[in-house]
Amino acid sequence: MNDTRTRPGDEVVALVSGIVEGAFAGLKPLLAAAETLLAEPGPTVGADLEQLRPKVVEQLDGLVVGAGFIAAPGLLADQEFGFEWWTTAGGGAPRQLFISLDPTSEYFLDYTRQSWFTVPRDTVRRHITGPYVDYLCTDEYTLTFTIPVRGATGFAGVVGADVFVREFEHATLPKLHALAVEERGQAALVNAQGRVVVSTSARQATGSLVRELDIPAWWTTGEESTTRPGTTLRRCGDAPIALLVTAR
Amino acid sequence: MVKRMSHGARAALFAPLDQTGRAEAVTRRLVDAISLGLLADAEQLPTETELAAQFGVSTVTVREALVALRQLGLVETRRGRGGGSFVRAPADSPVAPWRERLRAVSLSDLRDVGDQYSAIAGAAAKLAAERSSAEDLARLELATEDIRDATGPAASRAERHFHLEVAAAAQSPRLTHQELLLQGEQGGLLWLPITHGPSSAYPAHRAIVTAIGLGDGELARKLTEEHILDAIDRLVVLHLELIDP
Repeated sequence: MNDTRTRPGDEVVALVSGIVEGAFAGLKPLLAAAETLLAEPGPTVGADLEQLRPKVVEQLDGLVVGAGFIAAPGLLADQEFGFEWWTTAGGGAPRQLFISLDPTSEYFLDYTRQSWFTVPRDTVRRHITGPYVDYLCTDEYTLTFTIPVRGATGFAGVVGADVFVREFEHATLPKLHALAVEERGQAALVNAQGRVVVSTSARQATGSLVRELDIPAWWTTGEESTTRPGTTLRRCGDAPIALLVTAR
Repeated sequence: MVKRMSHGARAALFAPLDQTGRAEAVTRRLVDAISLGLLADAEQLPTETELAAQFGVSTVTVREALVALRQLGLVETRRGRGGGSFVRAPADSPVAPWRERLRAVSLSDLRDVGDQYSAIAGAAAKLAAERSSAEDLARLELATEDIRDATGPAASRAERHFHLEVAAAAQSPRLTHQELLLQGEQGGLLWLPITHGPSSAYPAHRAIVTAIGLGDGELARKLTEEHILDAIDRLVVLHLELIDP
């Protein structure tokens, strides 16, 4: 882009883009470790995933409160499902997450239905899931960043990092608020589905869907920004998050 | 080799308890866990000290609960090397302890459980209708299909999972948490394998998801409340059968 003029919202866009790219970049060493582990000769078993532990725990820093590797079904030689996931949710030292991996169990919840798993699997691209209620892990309102992992025979699972929506809000709301004041309106960050992540307005609260604009349809056009009377929608770099500014 | 505890709801199972009726509450939670297969047959329980820490109660309370569980024949304690408390899952009928609980419950308590469940699940359904994206709806559809041909514990799991998905689609961690708590307590009675079958649950779930998909919050709430009332109705009938001399 040759246009160097500043536009309202530049700071917010740069901030969000920085957070998102930072989270994905932070996952790279874990991704490399997972792909190295899977490339070793012979079958991989559930216990082998422990080797990823140092790289997993290393992720738990700053905004990231959960991280790990989730195996595709059938990847491991000795069990259908498996993962190495650690969390600092609730404070304190990192703890390993255990959930039922037995499909016949009363308490089994099938993680292969979750968007943080299905989207990277189906698109072979990185993905941000959420905001959503993470009832599998922390029961918190969460953004989950996932990258597909390649194995010998294709998709082998995902590596991912969790960021709580409230922490993402703490990091972005001051600049969002400043923008809203400057524009004499309201400002919000929305995902590609039109779901509000952070907002300066209680009437367009976190978790609600923006109905005034068809954001999912706009997203598929690939446009960088769109303006209508009283409304501006603009992508935050390559992040699947857009900045929405509306007149009061 | 003793089976390791390997179940997801372990966090909920060992969540700290209120200070009232602690031994009873510990007993009940462990009875539920054993009868639902959350704790497997022959599985070793954590030590008394560990259990006390996990439940947030004293070791005396845990000991009391273990005595009760031994009397129920659900736990066996072995002394010495390799000793400890081991689960003895009832081989005949896994729902027997539930029947006992359902027999002991009062209808006024049952009504109250239904009221609370309705308040939570109804509100969640209304918000889900307002806030569900296409992705949420796709997951609700999958959860609805789960119950179509399910029986026994699978039907029970599908019921609980369905209501969990609705609460998640409402985008509310608190309602989701309430839903989980209710399912772990008396509310768990609602979705017993013995109280319902796919014949009634499937069309009810389908109708709720359709209302959510249409964005009709009031209808989604009403249908959810009716679905819960139906479950309470069946529990009342069962309770009356059970107390029949």
